[in-house]
This record gives sequence, C-alpha cells and structure tokens, in this order.
Amino acid sequence: MSSLSMALRLTPYLARSNGSSFREAGLRDAGLPILAFGTVTALLLTVAGGSQVFWSWSDDIAGTYQALAVVAMVLLIIPLLTLGASAARLAARRRDDRLASLRLLGANSATVVWMTVIESTVLAAVGAVAGAGLYACVAPFLGLIQFRGQAIGSHAWLSVPSILGCVLAVCVLAAASAALGLRKVVVTPLGVRTRQTADGAHWVRGLIAAVVVVIGVVAMGMLSSFGTFIVIIAVMGGCFGLALLALNLMGPWILRLRASSQLKHAKKPEQLLAARTVLESPKESWRQVGGVAMTSFVGVFVGVGMAVADTMGTGGDAETTLLVRDINTGVMITLLGSFLMVACSAGVNQAAAVLDRASTLVALDRVGMPQKLMVAARVKAVMSPLFLVAGISAAAAAALVLPLTGAVLLTQPVVFLTIGGVFAAGFLLVRLAVAAGTAQISQVLARPERYAGMDS
Amino acid sequence: MNAILQAQQLTKHYPGSIALDHVDFTANAGQSIAIIGPSGSGKTTLLHCLAGILRPDAGAITLNTPSSPLRLDTLGDAALSRLRREEFGFVFQQGMLLPELTALENVALALMLNGTDRTTSEARAAEWLAALGLAGMEQRRLGELSGGQVQRVAIARAQVTGARVVFADEPTGALDSATSNEVLDVLLHSVAANGRTLLVVTHDPNVAARCERVVELRDGRIVADSGTVPAPGPAAPAAPATEPATTNFKGAFNV
Repeated sequence: MSSLSMALRLTPYLARSNGSSFREAGLRDAGLPILAFGTVTALLLTVAGGSQVFWSWSDDIAGTYQALAVVAMVLLIIPLLTLGASAARLAARRRDDRLASLRLLGANSATVVWMTVIESTVLAAVGAVAGAGLYACVAPFLGLIQFRGQAIGSHAWLSVPSILGCVLAVCVLAAASAALGLRKVVVTPLGVRTRQTADGAHWVRGLIAAVVVVIGVVAMGMLSSFGTFIVIIAVMGGCFGLALLALNLMGPWILRLRASSQLKHAKKPEQLLAARTVLESPKESWRQVGGVAMTSFVGVFVGVGMAVADTMGTGGDAETTLLVRDINTGVMITLLGSFLMVACSAGVNQAAAVLDRASTLVALDRVGMPQKLMVAARVKAVMSPLFLVAGISAAAAAALVLPLTGAVLLTQPVVFLTIGGVFAAGFLLVRLAVAAGTAQISQVLARPERYAGMDS
Repeated sequence: MNAILQAQQLTKHYPGSIALDHVDFTANAGQSIAIIGPSGSGKTTLLHCLAGILRPDAGAITLNTPSSPLRLDTLGDAALSRLRREEFGFVFQQGMLLPELTALENVALALMLNGTDRTTSEARAAEWLAALGLAGMEQRRLGELSGGQVQRVAIARAQVTGARVVFADEPTGALDSATSNEVLDVLLHSVAANGRTLLVVTHDPNVAARCERVVELRDGRIVADSGTVPAPGPAAPAAPATEPATTNFKGAFNV
C-alpha cells in the first residue's frame, strides 16, 4: 500500500476515533488553525473584492488606479501569505504527539507527512469556508467605500468561482506550508523534536539591504527628473517595493542584534526571557512584527506622498483631485488591513506559543514564577521588536522621501500628527491582540492537569 | 527530629473519586522520604498539596519556618507562589526547564525571581552546576545536553535558592537505569549535604530503597510508613552553600 493511500485511510479513521478528544482539545488542536485560516481567507477575499473595481475601468486614468491597486495588494498579500504559512505550521504542529505514536506503530515518514498535509488542508478548508462567510458579512460594508466619487457597491462582491478560487488557494497554501513546515521537525517513534538548526539571521542580510536602500534613495533623489505624474508614481512604487525587500532582508538580522544587546544588559527575569525568546528565532519574531514594519513604512512614505499630491491636486483638474482623494482612501484601507493582519498574526502566534509551551508554563507556575511575569516576558518579546522595527521603518521611509519630508513637515505638520495617530492605533491593536493571545496562559494555569507533561 | 512539614486530616476529592482520605503526615527536617503507591493512589496529589500547588478540600498543612509556623491551606495564591519560590524546590520528570535559556540561565532564573541581581545569581548558579558535574556546560542550551544532564540542571535549580524542602515527582522516570542511578546519587547527596528535606514521588523501587523513609499510599490513605530507617549508600558529600556570603565547598562532590 502506498504512503498516500495509507494516509488517506488512516486520517479519517483517526479523526473519527478521536472525535471526543478532538472536541475536548478544541482550541488547542483545531480552533486556532481554523481561526487563522478563516481570518486569512476573509482578508484575502476582502482585498480581492475591494480591488476588483479598479479592473472594471478602461478609461485613461484607469491605469493609474490599477498600478496603485497592485502596490496596495502587494503590500497586503505578502503579510497575508506569511499569516497563512503561520496558520499552516500551527495546524501541522498540533498533531505532533499523534504523529510520533503512528511512527511507533510502524507508519513510515512519508505516511506521516501525507497525514499532516491532509489534516492541515482539511482544517484550512473549514477555516476558508468560515472566512468566506465572514467576507459575505463584510462585503456590504465594503461596498460603501467611495472611489471616483461613487460607492463601489456590488463591485465589492466577488463571483462564486473567484471565491472558490480563493478558498482553493488557501488550501493549497496550507498543504504546501505543512509539507515545508515538517522539514523543520523530525518525527520519530519516540517523539517530535525540532531540528537544531542555526537561525540564518546573518549580517550579509544587512549589507544587501543597505545596498537596496541606497539604490532607492538615489532613485528618489532623481524623482523630479522623471517628468510626468504617472511616471513619478511608478518610480515611487518601484522604490517602495525595494524598501519592502530591504526591510524583509534586514528585519531578522536587526532583531537578533537588538535582542543580543538586551540579553547582555538584562537585569530582570522578564527581560532575560524576552531577549532569549527573540534570539531563539529572530525570523519567527520578524514574521510576527514584520507586517507593522511595512505598515509604518507605508504610513510615512505615502503620508508624505499624499501631502505632496494634495498640493498638486489643489490646483489640478477635477479628475486629479478625485485621484488624490482616492489614493487617500486606498492608503487608509491598506493601513487598516495591514494592522488587522499583524494583530491577527501576533494574536495567533502568541496563543500558539503559549499552548506549545503549556506544560513548561505549568511547571514554571509550580516553581513559583508569577503569572504576570510570564505574561510580561511574552508581551515584551513582541512589543520590543515591534517598536524597534516600526521606528526603523518609519525612519527609512522618511529618508527615502527626504527632500519632500522636510517640506511637508513645514507646510503640513498635521500629516505627521495623522501618521503618529495611525501608529499609536496600530500599536494598540497589536498590544490587544497579544493580550488576547497571552490570555491563554490563565486558561492553561487554571487547568494544569490537562497540560502537565505534554509540550510539543 | 524537628518536623518541617505537617499535614493533618488532609482530604482531597476529584469528581467521582477521593484522592486523599484524611491523611496525617509529618516530614522531618533533613529526611529523604519516598512516597510510593499504585497509579491513582493519591501520591502526586499529596505531594502537590504539601507543596502548595493544590489546595486540599479539608485538613491543615503547616510549614515550620525559623520565624513561625505557616498554614499553607490558608494562604492566598500570591503568597503560595512566593512560598514555592523561596522555601521549596522542584524536580519534575522531564526537567521542565526553559529550552531557550542556557543551563546557567535556567538555574540563575530561580534566584532572579527572588530578587537576587543577575551577576550574583549567575555566579551562584555556576557554582551549583560545577558541583553537580556540569562545569564547562554552563552556556549550553538544554537541547545540547543529555537527559541526565538536564535533570542535574533541574536539581541545581531546585536548590540554588536555599529551598528547605525539595519535591521531586518521578525525577528519574524518563531516564535509563544507569543515568537514573547517577541522577539519584546527585539528588540524594546534594540534598543531604545541605540538610534539606526531600520528598520523592516514585514508582521505582530502587529510588524508594535509597530514601531514608518510605511512605506507601493506596486509595488515598497511608497504608505503610517505614518511619526513620537509616539511609543506605555513601556518606553525604557537600554541595555549594546557597547564600553568597557564605559560599564554600565543604569537600569534593563526587557523583
């Protein structure tokens, strides 16, 4: 019998025989992945639905809207895929104990991989369908958003084949991520352990990122020589993409540097724990806060750009004025979407981290570690990198549009106040999500007998 | 001998069963006591009640401290948590240490939680690790240590704070017999050398045979208590002192 057919026979059998414990395990095993996949799907459909209106236009200025929509979608899709991959890893890791038992019973490695992929895909499918339902609830409100002077209305509704396509895409993403995720763990008959691999947050990342930033700064310095408004927008879009690339390259490396310094100077237990948590996997920490880095970048970059465009729009024709207003609307929606994704990502990751470490947390509680210290360490492990990357990203964006930044600061200080407000709201959103995630600690400690001796 | 921990008429129910049925128990200072019994006999529940992890439904638990007796069953969660940090040490079956920390940091953390500064904490943690045969491994993370070495780190963590009572729940349950003997040697010798009281929950008759006193539980009641039988094995060597001002080594610590 092939590994695939064995997995296809075993998976539904185990799901059936494990029904009651599956319900008991609830959030720990299935709830979180389903919630995460549901969020991913709902956001994906909302982004796709909101942006499809731009593709229904064919007049002269439609190209500009479409180009900007692509930039916004790139901005949202990358963290969305990251969140999706986190959800898939979460789904795969939930099954560790059972997979080890199966290996003990003689199932080979390939069967175990297939089972994980199948189970993750099923969880993704359930989450994706729920997410589609959530999108159906959101779409009427999405239709109220105005572009070019009128509500997008039914244009926010995706066709049924498009929705099915998105659901399918989420399932494929889950399957691929589960298979890739298993490469990081070794499932043996005696248990599941994480491969001891060094995290590759190397300084070369910083070097490459610096080169990318220099290219961007040079291009932005020559902005005025590019002539028309459309070309300027295109160059700004290109530089924006380069900056995102630089941020992603640099992020884990910077977080590692910062955490190393914090570890060296840590005086309190929570500082030590938080620094070690980040150092354990700078890439993982980056995956949680990277989205806000991009959002911060967008906030400053587009905020300044908008202020300039507003100045241009004041003396321009009605079409340009509408375009400026619509860019403003698009930026706000993009920022909101980014923050929502980062908040979801942080919440899901924290809840998963707490559940993964449930038995260790129970043990730490038993040896007398105060619960508030456990929470403080987790909050610090997220918020400290968050503040760092947000600050660096905002500074990088301001540097990219340096000639414009100074002018806007003098002529339209309210723009910077708005940006500051958006940042504060974003931080608050993430902090709330982290609080929701770490609330799992109380639940774990309230029923320690469920978790003692079951760390994955 | 002086009683350090006393339980009177301890009763604990779980839905549909009684885990402890009016148990009277006294642990004397400096004693090593094995608590044995079949699964479900109530031995882990007794250990958890004595350690202030579980609250009994009825009965009294008293810890005799140098200043005054403390009634554990009347303390709040925060006070119990503090008591566990300061007066008790714990060794669990799987170590239950933090994998992202080094061996040194895991031990030092116990002191830092009590307010000791990091430099002092790490110095004392290093002394304990060296005394337990882990010199040179201070900066290793748990994934880089063997099962026996991880348990030694856990034993160091349990005692570095100067805990007067050490609770161990199947401390050798996940180890092979050779490593199990080594870890047991380390545990018994270090506890005895510092005059601490050890309560071990175990299924392993070899572990029980090495303790001074064996208490057997069945259906939530103590059905046998060997009292104070002299411990077999070598005389207890010294371990590092726990107070920084008096840190010294009384002799070689051969394990």
